[in-house]
Amino acid sequence: MHETPHRNTETKITAAAPAGMFGPFLRAPEASRDIFRVIFVAACGPAVAGVVFFGWRALVICALSVLGCVATESLYYRVTRTPALLGRSHAALTGLLLALTLPPFVPWYVPLAAAVFAILVGKALFGGVGHFLWQPALVGRLAATVLFAPPLLARPLLDRPAWPVLAQNRILLGDVTRVDRSARYRGWRGTVARSPADAVARPRPRAFLRQLSLPGAKPPDSIATVLRHMPPAWDLICGAHGGGIGETSTIVIIVAGLYLACRNYVHAYLPGMIILAAAVTVAVAPVRSADGQAWQWLPVAAEGLDVGFVYVAYHLTCGELMLAAFFLATEMTSRPVTLPAQVVFGAICGAGAILLRLYLAFPIPAYAAVLMANTLTPLLDSAVRPRVLGRRRWQRTTDTKHQA
Amino acid sequence: MSAMRLRRFGTFAGGIVLPDSKDATLGAPIVPIGPLTRLRVPLAPTEAEPARPLVEPGQAVSHGQRIAQASDARQVDVFAPLAGRVAGIGECLLPGPEGTWRSSPAIELVELDSVGRIEELSCHYTWQSADEYSIRLRIAEGGVCTCRPPVSALGGWIERALAASVETLIADITENTPFVTADHRLLAERGSEVIRGLAILARAVGARNVMLAVDHRRTGAYRAAVGPARLYGIEPIALPHKYPIGAEAMIVKVLTRREIPPGGTAMDVGVAVTDAATCWLTYRWVACGEPPTARVVTLSGPALHRPGNYLVPFGAEIEELLALAGLDAQAWGVCGPAMSGQLATAGAVTGPGGNAVLGLHPQQAGPPTQCIRCGWCSENCPARLNVAALNDDFELNRPTQAARRGVLACVGCGICSYLCPARLPLSRRVALLKRAIRQGQSRSRDARDAAQKH
Repeated sequence: MHETPHRNTETKITAAAPAGMFGPFLRAPEASRDIFRVIFVAACGPAVAGVVFFGWRALVICALSVLGCVATESLYYRVTRTPALLGRSHAALTGLLLALTLPPFVPWYVPLAAAVFAILVGKALFGGVGHFLWQPALVGRLAATVLFAPPLLARPLLDRPAWPVLAQNRILLGDVTRVDRSARYRGWRGTVARSPADAVARPRPRAFLRQLSLPGAKPPDSIATVLRHMPPAWDLICGAHGGGIGETSTIVIIVAGLYLACRNYVHAYLPGMIILAAAVTVAVAPVRSADGQAWQWLPVAAEGLDVGFVYVAYHLTCGELMLAAFFLATEMTSRPVTLPAQVVFGAICGAGAILLRLYLAFPIPAYAAVLMANTLTPLLDSAVRPRVLGRRRWQRTTDTKHQA
Repeated sequence: MSAMRLRRFGTFAGGIVLPDSKDATLGAPIVPIGPLTRLRVPLAPTEAEPARPLVEPGQAVSHGQRIAQASDARQVDVFAPLAGRVAGIGECLLPGPEGTWRSSPAIELVELDSVGRIEELSCHYTWQSADEYSIRLRIAEGGVCTCRPPVSALGGWIERALAASVETLIADITENTPFVTADHRLLAERGSEVIRGLAILARAVGARNVMLAVDHRRTGAYRAAVGPARLYGIEPIALPHKYPIGAEAMIVKVLTRREIPPGGTAMDVGVAVTDAATCWLTYRWVACGEPPTARVVTLSGPALHRPGNYLVPFGAEIEELLALAGLDAQAWGVCGPAMSGQLATAGAVTGPGGNAVLGLHPQQAGPPTQCIRCGWCSENCPARLNVAALNDDFELNRPTQAARRGVLACVGCGICSYLCPARLPLSRRVALLKRAIRQGQSRSRDARDAAQKH
């Protein structure tokens, strides 16, 4: 087996490729912009759910974030004199995805600052679509998490002990920052806000589940007691609980994600693998309960399978995992290209999200897991690949011997 | 019970279902092309040294007269496709490998007779009782080429098949690229001749398994061919219409479960693949003694006013064919199938390898943008290549890296370019990578040979 030093030969292959002269002379109709537009429309689903449950402030944050991203990108193109080959479609999509990850009660400057970070640091610094390593919306979200938190501010702006959701009689039009602090509610059904408050507040469901495993927390009696504190399952499925604008409504996210899968913009394997890996990790990862200090593996079977399955289902639906699985991990540039690599990528995302949620007091575990997996994307693309036709599975030689 | 009992086979990973677009010509019978003013008959239908002309300028030639003699075993004799007068020796262009044009000297014929219908010839050579050796001899002295690109002399093709001890011969008549119906019409109208030609080829290469692979949607049209096929022990097989099942590597994989090693040919795994046009010309030459001078070409496409399946003599100019079929102004003339053909240029002529001349409207898509890593190219690649990574290798000028990724396994189907939402000319870039790798290999082989000499 000999290798030819092609790099410095006189024939530079990139020189000769005039477009249009060569086949195929037929083209499938879909262009890159169409892809971004369709994903934007799909992402409007969770956004609408957010506006329903978090009111007009959610709409304002979405608009500020999208406009911030588009304006930053336009400014960037203007300053660097880069031709905008894909228009602003990807910037608008990034802005909307960023807004979906933000809490509904943040002040107006948070989405703007996050948008600037998302476009400049997440996207433009790497060379735009097709080149960035980390999903830009998540870079913006991470920047907002770091900027508007204790070392720089007195108290975290994006993370609160009690998260608001509009009461049932104030949906769509209420102001989510006018919280009725005296009201106690178990489930969202039947919550009625009294003037001047519009919203009711409660810790995020995630916080209850974290009591089972976070180091500082006081261990609860059993998994079943924790589940008794959780809101009803229907609240988690339809989205009437505290969380980011687009994170809460599981059913809308799944429907929009399946639409993308039908359009072939998302491989169903990738979100499927994320959810599967997350479910397996939840079922296996140890928690503390009952007698206090002992770590117990296999929580799914610890108190009977009925409690165990409810525990797993709550974990899957209670936070940002679904949004990350269907919309953020599937960003085309920052996920691996080939299908087997995507499956491994999904497994890393899902398991990482649950492990970070269980054992670290980090406010955005699923997003951090996606960012970590994004970092591994180039490695996965070169290490995990489909078997090329005519080669054995792990054969890595050049194909010179058949040329003689 | 129907006479058409066709075995159904599996499929392969990757590939897409293309729009069929064959309605205009699927039922159109083969007719002779209209009057031609000039032929430029290529003296080098294969890539070997050109044949030596046997005629002088000004001389009158008759239909089927031998006008050039091959000086090389890899070249074929050339026969006059039509009666006419020799105007001189000129040049013509034929499709070469990987979308290039290959220049060939050509005999120019003018004052031509019109193209006649396909004659009903009687078989006067009892090839059934002849031994293999004399069949091979008879094929080798005719001017028959393999009509499946790359075009080569049929005698040389049989010798290579014998050297590779081929046991399976596949006639690929799936023809699943849009618009093209030449082989379909040939099998539907001249089925018994095609089948007999296939049987002759099977005798010549000594193949034990002979398969006739057709599209499962069109089996009804091939009823006349099934009887002779059973007579000669040829197995008719219906294949699914997912593109590119007609590619050599795919049809061999589906029918024999063998995979061609990257950069290899079907003969490396003991399989020979041929098509209907080759079988037909072989039968006409071996059994009836008619020299190969014309083939069926589909003229079709949305920009042609008179689409059809035409009997076109070798050496007809593409521009004249497009004018006869009524090409729109501003439209593109394309030589070969729409997925892997090339834009017609002045001086291009039809040869044995061209089964279609298409008139297509120019694409309205804008300039190529950057790759967004959607992954559709690799997801649908029948060779399971990571085409996005190969595009990076092309842009960074890294053919060695591309070779390590297995770029030589590419079957050249064009699906990556067809699907690419960024409108990148991916299949063209992959073809250039393959060419660079092959050149590098031949260069290093030359260097090694030189080093061994000293």
